[in-house]
Amino acid sequence: MTLGNRWRLLTLGLVLAAAALWTAPAGAWLFDAVTPVAHEVRNLFWKAVGITAFFFILAEGILLVAVLKFRAKPGRAPAKWHENLRLELVWTAIPALAMVILSGPAFSTMKYMETIPKSDVQIEVVGHQWFWEYRYPKYGVVFANEPLVLPVGKTIAANVTSIDVIHSWFVPPFGIKMDANPGRINHVWFQVEKVGKYEGQCAELCGVLHGQMFITVNVVTSEEFDRWIEQKKKGV
Amino acid sequence: MEAGTLARPVPHHEAAAHVTKPRTGILKWLLTTDHKLIGVMYIWLSFFFFSVAGIFAMVMRAQLMAPGLHILHPEIYNQIMSLHGTFMVFFFTIPIMAGIANYVVPIQIGARDMAFPRVNAVSFWMLIPAGTFMLVSLFLKGGSAAAGWTSYPPLTDRQFSPGAGMDFWILGLHLAGASSILGGINFVVTILNLRAPGMRLFKMPMFCWNVLITQLIVVFATPVLAGALTMLLTDRMFGTGFFHPPAGGDPVLYQHLFWFYSHPAVYIMVLPGMGMVSQILPAFSGKHLFGYKGMVLATAGIGIIGYMVWGHHMFATGIDFRLRQFFSFASMVIAVPTGIKIWSWLATIWGGSLRFKTPMLFAVGFIALFIIGGITGVWLALVPFDVQVHDTYFVVAHLHYVLFGGSLMSIMAGIYYWFPKISGKLYNEFWGKVHFWLTFIGMNLTFMPMHMMGMLGMPRRIYTYRPEFAIWNHIASFGAAVLLVGMTIFVLNMLLHLWRGKPAPKDPWDHSDETRTLEWTVTSPPPPENFHTLPAIR
Ligand SMILES: [Cu+2]
Ligand SMILES: [Cu+2]
Repeated sequence: MTLGNRWRLLTLGLVLAAAALWTAPAGAWLFDAVTPVAHEVRNLFWKAVGITAFFFILAEGILLVAVLKFRAKPGRAPAKWHENLRLELVWTAIPALAMVILSGPAFSTMKYMETIPKSDVQIEVVGHQWFWEYRYPKYGVVFANEPLVLPVGKTIAANVTSIDVIHSWFVPPFGIKMDANPGRINHVWFQVEKVGKYEGQCAELCGVLHGQMFITVNVVTSEEFDRWIEQKKKGV
Repeated sequence: MEAGTLARPVPHHEAAAHVTKPRTGILKWLLTTDHKLIGVMYIWLSFFFFSVAGIFAMVMRAQLMAPGLHILHPEIYNQIMSLHGTFMVFFFTIPIMAGIANYVVPIQIGARDMAFPRVNAVSFWMLIPAGTFMLVSLFLKGGSAAAGWTSYPPLTDRQFSPGAGMDFWILGLHLAGASSILGGINFVVTILNLRAPGMRLFKMPMFCWNVLITQLIVVFATPVLAGALTMLLTDRMFGTGFFHPPAGGDPVLYQHLFWFYSHPAVYIMVLPGMGMVSQILPAFSGKHLFGYKGMVLATAGIGIIGYMVWGHHMFATGIDFRLRQFFSFASMVIAVPTGIKIWSWLATIWGGSLRFKTPMLFAVGFIALFIIGGITGVWLALVPFDVQVHDTYFVVAHLHYVLFGGSLMSIMAGIYYWFPKISGKLYNEFWGKVHFWLTFIGMNLTFMPMHMMGMLGMPRRIYTYRPEFAIWNHIASFGAAVLLVGMTIFVLNMLLHLWRGKPAPKDPWDHSDETRTLEWTVTSPPPPENFHTLPAIR
């Protein structure tokens, strides 16, 4: 096999594999989206993929064609040109425009995540080395190192902080990650659409057992939640 | 007055006067102030740390080969992981770029040496205690620093990192930073003042431009890192509370200071490599670099905007909405000058007569991979998406497409390109190409799956993981093994031909007249003081 053939096959294969790998598991994550914020993030992600795919395919495509087409051959001299102002203006202006366009949905999604609606349930999330403490101030319930329980369909507002080092509260299907900084309180909100058990884990290096600082959220019906919180209040 | 005529190199007889008998043996290296010997020592030292950090990477990939393994204790894993990053950034990528530039830049601008040869030697020798502190700390009680290459407080406070490893890390990094600053001043002065008559700024080879802009970034950004490290040290040692909430400090302040240096540091690690690629593509296309002035402007643009994007590392810390908006947009904007460079490289090879020698393969591979890192960089500039994948393996994938696909591929291109010049020997092309293919394929096998791990929610810096991430980790670990085979071939090829390669002519690459820079007009290796007669610059 000549070097040219190898190039052709390998590069083509890699570009295709890259494209396939990019979209497939992204789907797996994106199909899991269970909060309005996660849905918004998903929409934004696909817009970004759409806009940048154009440049990705164009650039890798030109590279591939150039590599195949302009291989040195006896008797063919290289071209002499090395400037073209109009071309340079075009490849400055079009990507710049694309960035401006992309910033629109990015900023509106950001605003949406940022604006905390009136909440039904207020919780406090406190990071410790290496477990999570949860508090329900309205019910006077505090516990640690067991799953967080929340009602489905209700707006949850969480205050996130830490008592020792920095941790990060991260539940992928919620579209949420918030650093737990000692000395600061950060705010997030979410509204889980489906009953179920959701997994996440600490996302900021916090010491030896950072890899074992798991998060489990049990999302249950309102009735189940009320029953659960009553039991917790009694200290069961 | 033309910039190129401001200062002339020392006339030859004067320069020769203080060079007494040439030294031989070990003293030749220990006492040298010759930019070429110093450059070579930089390159050797950097490759030493590259091997150490590379072995750390292999050990990590072994531990992560499957979920639930216990090859490494979590404490050890965190130390190895932290030193992998620290060594790759501060003891491989930054110094090897400085090493290659040390060798090449003075020759390319027609100078006999760097502006401050003794300072140059000091910059190099400071790296040895710096790296030694880091390495030795692994064997201390309590081990080395284990808080990542970023070392965020409060995890790095005495309370949470009681061992001396953290202090050694700070000290080592301080020394490496001081070495960088001295080197940076030296490069800037050299390039501005020692160019041969006729070598106007806008006639300089693109590599020199990229080194100039890189070193300006070094000079302005590194002192901020030094400040942050000093505060970290006094918090640990003398009970100050810069980053300590109970004392009124704020850990987030450290992140601002750290990234104010460390985002520009990405460009410190990438711009010189882009300069090398801007030399190599024309050399093996037989064509002039496309859009020289546009390239210079784009590089300067990256250098300036690079100072305004550090907050994109902090979108999940809870900084103000308006700040995030600003950093997000600035980070998107920086894709524009980066794009200009990519389009210009593509236009350079378009219509050329391409010869795929090993340096060219690595340069083309660099473009292919860097595009991917650039695209995911744009995605990461979008705050909501960034928050979703921040501190996951998606970011690990992105940064390796930039620093492996970008920096390392270009370093390899440069090493193969200048190996005959520096050593005076020819390496084996066949094994060079094998090295390229194993690296290109292994790189994608290792890092492409990490995008998926991150999308699925696997955080970075964890020593083991939940079973749902297993398949992607299997692939990544297999890819790492492929990389190891490639690197072994590289080392053998280079060592063997250093020892008994065929002698290299002045210009082993047969540059065309438009693309031949000055280093290819002198012998391989160049004579002491580089030129017998002052080069005439057209
Ligand atoms: Cu953690
Ligand atoms: Cu950055």
